[in-house]
Amino acid sequence: MFWICVGWIALNIVGAIFANVLPLQNPLFQNYASVNAGPSLHHLFGTDDLGRDIFARVVYGSRVSIEVSLGAMLIGFGLGAPLGMLAAYRRGKFDSILTAVMYVFLAFPAIIATIAVLSFWTPRSLLKIIVVVGIASVPLVYRVIRSATMNFASRDFVIAAKVQGATDRRILIKELLPNIAPVGVSFLLIGIATVVTLEGALAFLGLSVNPPTPSWGNMINESLSILQINPWLAIFPSLAMCLFLLSLNFIGDRLRAHFEVSEAKL
Amino acid sequence: MSDATTLLVVKDLATTFQTPSGPLPAVGGVSFTLKENETLGIVGESGSGKTVLSRTIMGLQPRRNVEVTGSVLLNGFEVVGASEEAKRAIWGLEVAMVFQDPMTSLNPVMRIGKQIDEILRVRLKMDRHAAKARAIELLELVGIPSPAERYGVFPGELSGGMRQRVVIATALAGSPKLLMADEPTTGLDVTIQAQILNLLQSVKDQMSMSVVLVTHDLGVVATRTSRIIVMYAGRIVEMGTTRDVFARHRMPYTRALLEGSPKVSNPSHTRLLAIPGRPPNLLDLPQGCAFAPRCSFATDICRKERPELEPSFEDGHAFACWNPLPVSQGVPA
Repeated sequence: MFWICVGWIALNIVGAIFANVLPLQNPLFQNYASVNAGPSLHHLFGTDDLGRDIFARVVYGSRVSIEVSLGAMLIGFGLGAPLGMLAAYRRGKFDSILTAVMYVFLAFPAIIATIAVLSFWTPRSLLKIIVVVGIASVPLVYRVIRSATMNFASRDFVIAAKVQGATDRRILIKELLPNIAPVGVSFLLIGIATVVTLEGALAFLGLSVNPPTPSWGNMINESLSILQINPWLAIFPSLAMCLFLLSLNFIGDRLRAHFEVSEAKL
Repeated sequence: MSDATTLLVVKDLATTFQTPSGPLPAVGGVSFTLKENETLGIVGESGSGKTVLSRTIMGLQPRRNVEVTGSVLLNGFEVVGASEEAKRAIWGLEVAMVFQDPMTSLNPVMRIGKQIDEILRVRLKMDRHAAKARAIELLELVGIPSPAERYGVFPGELSGGMRQRVVIATALAGSPKLLMADEPTTGLDVTIQAQILNLLQSVKDQMSMSVVLVTHDLGVVATRTSRIIVMYAGRIVEMGTTRDVFARHRMPYTRALLEGSPKVSNPSHTRLLAIPGRPPNLLDLPQGCAFAPRCSFATDICRKERPELEPSFEDGHAFACWNPLPVSQGVPA
């Protein structure tokens, strides 16, 4: 099951990367001769109300989800993880002030902040969405990484490294980072899943990438008006998102369980 | 012994923690010297300040809420007040440390060889192959069978005794002149304890180091140290050669400690004499001698005035007591 999930995620990523070279139909090509068609050999998932191939749009749509989630996590972990590690290692004023600031951000509902910023920051682009969602995720990453680091920072092996003459930077990178990596990876997977959902929610509100660029969220949004005529347009992107998230969560779960076991063994 | 050079001079060393309930003098005015190739034992109950003392000597204390006064001269380097940067230069190369619990003092996700390599490559600028060869040598020195294969294992794959050997190997990697061993055998099986202590002694001789052995177990220091410091409530209450401390101690606390440790020569079912009461609260030390409330010899002066450490016999024996035991009353070791 674990490997099926890994395979599914890999398939999605490969599909997103190679969407243009795969034998897919043009996701933007409108064929008015066959609108709202059901699944057939020619259109595996059918067509939407403008006659565009849903299968091609689902594959292309994964690009937005994957780009937004990876980009946002890059920002979230890029800022949140080093700050969290540093705060947990240094403690003192640095930690108190930084943690207080982060908690203020955490107290503010991220989704509302994201919606507010994206509503005013026009014209919208993929990059802006990534930046906003990424920054919104920083306090969450910070909190998780900080507590994970704190768990290890006071252990003897850190002091042992220190009295071997290791610099603080070396201790952070060589001693602490490998120890918190399992937690980081598990949280990264959860983070990606959350951002995919968030992109869906933003798209549903019309705040994601501009049409006609397909994204899973956009497609579900578009399907609303024709749900009764053509449910396929809602079903397939939802299914794609659902399976993607399910796989991510499953992998995250398994990894966490695996690392917990090896931790207990030590 | 007398003409050996002095490696460590500790003078009036005091470590005070600022706690929310007031200053806590964990170490209060400790002075002693340690010569090269000498093994010094520091004994005392839990909370007597021995661990704080050993960490202060290394210059290892929390970044905040601690005040250290006095002087620690380690091979000419003043540790007290030195910057982290300056201390980093002596850590590992001049002074190294063996920790109490080998389960937590090795990085669980780093191969043991790499943990020994680290200092060799970063501090001694060895190249990868030389460092690996040296690390394997060190593993062999500390008695790890098939060291070349063990080089690549993780700490979790080794037993406690083996791990403590690895900890010792990492401490030895920088060829330090002083090895601080803080309760190095407390976390181990009794049968392994002797092995580790013998190992410490043999590496000390091979690498001509000085060793400070911190322990609560008098049995540990009896045969393996040349001098002993007995601590109580952050102060030295008696010090001297191991022989003198065991056979001719003057301080009632030392005797109480000795009577509280089991001896093989006793008939079976001999009751151990526990010291009544508890170690004093360091936040609220009694006015006089800190041991007075638990001492059966205590008199009025003991409760009013703190006795200073006074030299007694030759060889640096000294004790702090108003009502010392008569010389003949010592319990033979």
